[in-house]
Amino acid sequence: MAENKSNENWEPKIVAFCCNWCTYTGADLAGISRIQYPPNVRVIRVPCSGRVNPFYVVKALQEGVDGVLVSGCHPGECHYITGNLSARRKFAMLKNFLTYIGIDPDRTMFSWVSASEGEKFAQVVRGVTERVKALGPANKLVKKV
Amino acid sequence: MENVEKQLREEAKRLLADKKVDVIVGYEEGTLPLQTVPCFITNPDDAGKLVWNSFCSQNLAKYVHDIIHQHRESQVRVKPEDKTRKVVGVVARGCTTRSLVIHLQERQYDRDEVVIIGVPCTGFVAKRKVSTLVDGKEILEAAVNGDKISVRTTSGDKDVPLKDVIADNCLNCHFNNPVISDIMVGNEAPPRDVDREYDSVNKFENLPLEERWSYFTKEMEKCIRCYACRNTCPSCYCKICFVEQSQPAWVGTGDDPTDVQVFQIMRMFHMAGRCVDCGSCVEVCPMGVDLRNFLKKLDKDGFELFAHKAGESIDKPAPLSTFEMGDKEKFIFEPESSS
Repeated sequence: MAENKSNENWEPKIVAFCCNWCTYTGADLAGISRIQYPPNVRVIRVPCSGRVNPFYVVKALQEGVDGVLVSGCHPGECHYITGNLSARRKFAMLKNFLTYIGIDPDRTMFSWVSASEGEKFAQVVRGVTERVKALGPANKLVKKV
Repeated sequence: MENVEKQLREEAKRLLADKKVDVIVGYEEGTLPLQTVPCFITNPDDAGKLVWNSFCSQNLAKYVHDIIHQHRESQVRVKPEDKTRKVVGVVARGCTTRSLVIHLQERQYDRDEVVIIGVPCTGFVAKRKVSTLVDGKEILEAAVNGDKISVRTTSGDKDVPLKDVIADNCLNCHFNNPVISDIMVGNEAPPRDVDREYDSVNKFENLPLEERWSYFTKEMEKCIRCYACRNTCPSCYCKICFVEQSQPAWVGTGDDPTDVQVFQIMRMFHMAGRCVDCGSCVEVCPMGVDLRNFLKKLDKDGFELFAHKAGESIDKPAPLSTFEMGDKEKFIFEPESSS
């Protein structure tokens, strides 16, 4: 994979862990509303943002994705009542820790998108893609196969 | 110190003789200089073996967990009415008691299964620091003499000041007196220089990103994946560690540098809100990886974001097992154009 920033055609690969009840449905809404957003995200449906093990994020980075997005319901609106509140604490620490060891903060993003926010989902994806594009291909923690 | 040791032996002997405990976990004289080894005493007459000095570095909470759980496993096929319990007595300094608190919070055993003999602590000697001060010469003998350590090496004797060789984690320790105990021996230890606890983390945080990453990779290159850090850590008690799981295989077992980095990131992240900064992992690391720099960051975040110090009190749940509606969420990404 001879990918570098100078390569004009380089497009970032972003993994998005979307909670089934809000963000995934929001993405669905974005789809049926024909809202355009970059095709760089690969959506993985999870039952809840609280289901996302911090290891998933680290593992995704190791497997070579350029950015990770974790998105769930707004605080207080979790289908499982408090899943995203636990997730919030977990990810606050995870993001700080990864930044501390030297991984760009923009590579791991967290957001809240509800089921009715199709436009916001598109904006989040645009924003994340833009930021990851600016950073260039991931070169830290990536396992060379 | 001698006084504490004497009291400690008496208490241990009494507990064993009164059958209050089945086994006492403590430290005994080791075969190598500068270190003591854990010992397990079941006979009251052996209580004299116990020592308490500046070379007691390991966190004994690990063994309390191991003993109780091994015993429970041995009881699996025993009829309910014949099941026995094992009560463990443990010689515990501040950080050991915090690890015990974490075990109790995580429901690993009951409070009445452990008898805590609290000892005041003035910090332990970091072998690596002594070794640096004697230019890496082999140390044949070492003894504490007041505020100095007399070291006999292959190339002559040398006195090194005790305060220069105390482990980093002990220098700014908040909890040098036990947080919980059934029996206290000795007098309270004087407080340490607690205000500068996070100085090293703050300094590291202010380095540029690339410098931090190169420091991290440089440190992780040393790691030989011997798992000594995991084996000695009281908070690492999973029956099957994620590194050994094969379905799914979380992390590769080869010598790929990213596998080592991922292993260390995840092991350290599992310590979020659970690391008591006892320094055992640093002390046992054969390659001298600077684990503390990274673990301390998790400790600092736990304190600054959630006002939590690991194992401080039984009533305070671990930061990641609880939540509050008003938790800080500055890190959440909000796209600019949205209202």
